[in-house]
Amino acid sequence: MDLVLWNDWHVVADANTLDEHRPLRTALLGVPLRIARDKGGSISISKDDGGLVHGEVRHGFVWACLGLPAQPIIDIPELGGEAKCAVSAGAMAVYASAGRVIENFLDLAHLGYVHAGYLGAEPNTMVESYEVTGTKDGVRATRCKTYQPIRRQSKSQDFLGEYVHVEYNYIVERPYIACFEKSFADGHRFMVMYIFAQPVDEEHTVAHTLLILLDEIWDVVQMRAAQQLVFMQDKGILENQFPKRLPIGAGMEMPVRADRTSVAYRRWLADCGVTYGVIRSPMETAA
Amino acid sequence: MTEAVGWYPVAASHDLPVGHIYQTRLFDCPLAIWRASSGEVNIWQDRCPHRGVRFSIGTALGDELRCQYHAWRFASGSGSCTLIPAHRDRPPPRTIRATVYPVVEYGGLVWSSIVDGESHPPIFAHGVVLRAIPVFRPAAAVEGALTSLGLRDVKFFVQPIASDRSVIRGVAIDDASLLEYDALLERLRRELEAS
Repeated sequence: MDLVLWNDWHVVADANTLDEHRPLRTALLGVPLRIARDKGGSISISKDDGGLVHGEVRHGFVWACLGLPAQPIIDIPELGGEAKCAVSAGAMAVYASAGRVIENFLDLAHLGYVHAGYLGAEPNTMVESYEVTGTKDGVRATRCKTYQPIRRQSKSQDFLGEYVHVEYNYIVERPYIACFEKSFADGHRFMVMYIFAQPVDEEHTVAHTLLILLDEIWDVVQMRAAQQLVFMQDKGILENQFPKRLPIGAGMEMPVRADRTSVAYRRWLADCGVTYGVIRSPMETAA
Repeated sequence: MTEAVGWYPVAASHDLPVGHIYQTRLFDCPLAIWRASSGEVNIWQDRCPHRGVRFSIGTALGDELRCQYHAWRFASGSGSCTLIPAHRDRPPPRTIRATVYPVVEYGGLVWSSIVDGESHPPIFAHGVVLRAIPVFRPAAAVEGALTSLGLRDVKFFVQPIASDRSVIRGVAIDDASLLEYDALLERLRRELEAS
């Protein structure tokens, strides 16, 4: 097993959904887990043999580490005060590898097609060049410009019904966690979204999402519903990608300039030594 | 599963109205089969070279197939990528193309061959194409059972889907005994799958 994954923290549940009368059954990196909450509210995570796994509740989610935690759970600075509202937008099971799920989250070019009318639309589907930096600490893609309908999501009527320019910044600092922040063209940052991809096994993922709104104008119920609909649109794509595991070796798929974030992400996974849920060379495809 | 030399039926002509993308497999290789508005039939590996999405969930638009993920378009015939909407201001790199397999439409069936060998499908008297019958048994077992039926007015062909499953396709001389053949194949299927 990859130590980089084994000794890291992964979200395994939304803390609000745990029921003290009925433990939650799930799995992480192929290991079946039982998550229980007692009357006092404390949470325990155990394996089938009864052995306990490191568990913590943070940011509204239950986190598990199967090995020895090599680093703390990621910090989410916006939750420290800037957030006007932060909600889970749902835990979505998807028959795809965690790497495919993260790559889809980072993808700009599909917004106007898979999410037509929600996150983009023809004919404004060109992807302008953006900045990507890949270091040993992760991947950042900045100044990703796109054109989106902002509608039905605002309590005030100011933004209704119009397509506006928005800018995304993406950050990946753990193999199966990513976030983006979204700003208007004037630089005003209005939302941050996290995805915590729980690798259930190499080809199954639960995508936990955290939606953070930075202004009071948004209708959070509508935003949450829209986010769930958007993920369901992605699910149909993700479950039809083959191979299921993310190919991270060169030459197995054909990226173009719009895919520079994906290229950097795949390369970073390879540099981190990730082998779980990925394909490192074409020779592995048959396995 | 080992691919065999030769031509195999992978669809019936009537499975391919313009605008539809038919999905099947040959020797475990997933195939997307579609007819362009020109009438030309395409047999492609069911996988976009960009991100591996099945072509069969995409859309056939006249003489192009559009992938469902990023709306890249691929040309009937060559399989060459003709449009990448993210960069619609420049032509797609010529190296980007669908994996294309040989096609012959003959006798009401669509034939393909993954391994080069014989130059054309078997020659047979044209007639009425039977309903395709899937069988959860290896192609060799199905072929053996069909041969032992000893029928003369119908010709059977077996499409090897994967090592453990096949599809029986057939052509009868006329439609006089279609129901009879259909019932016979259903019976054969049940016997084979029970054995």
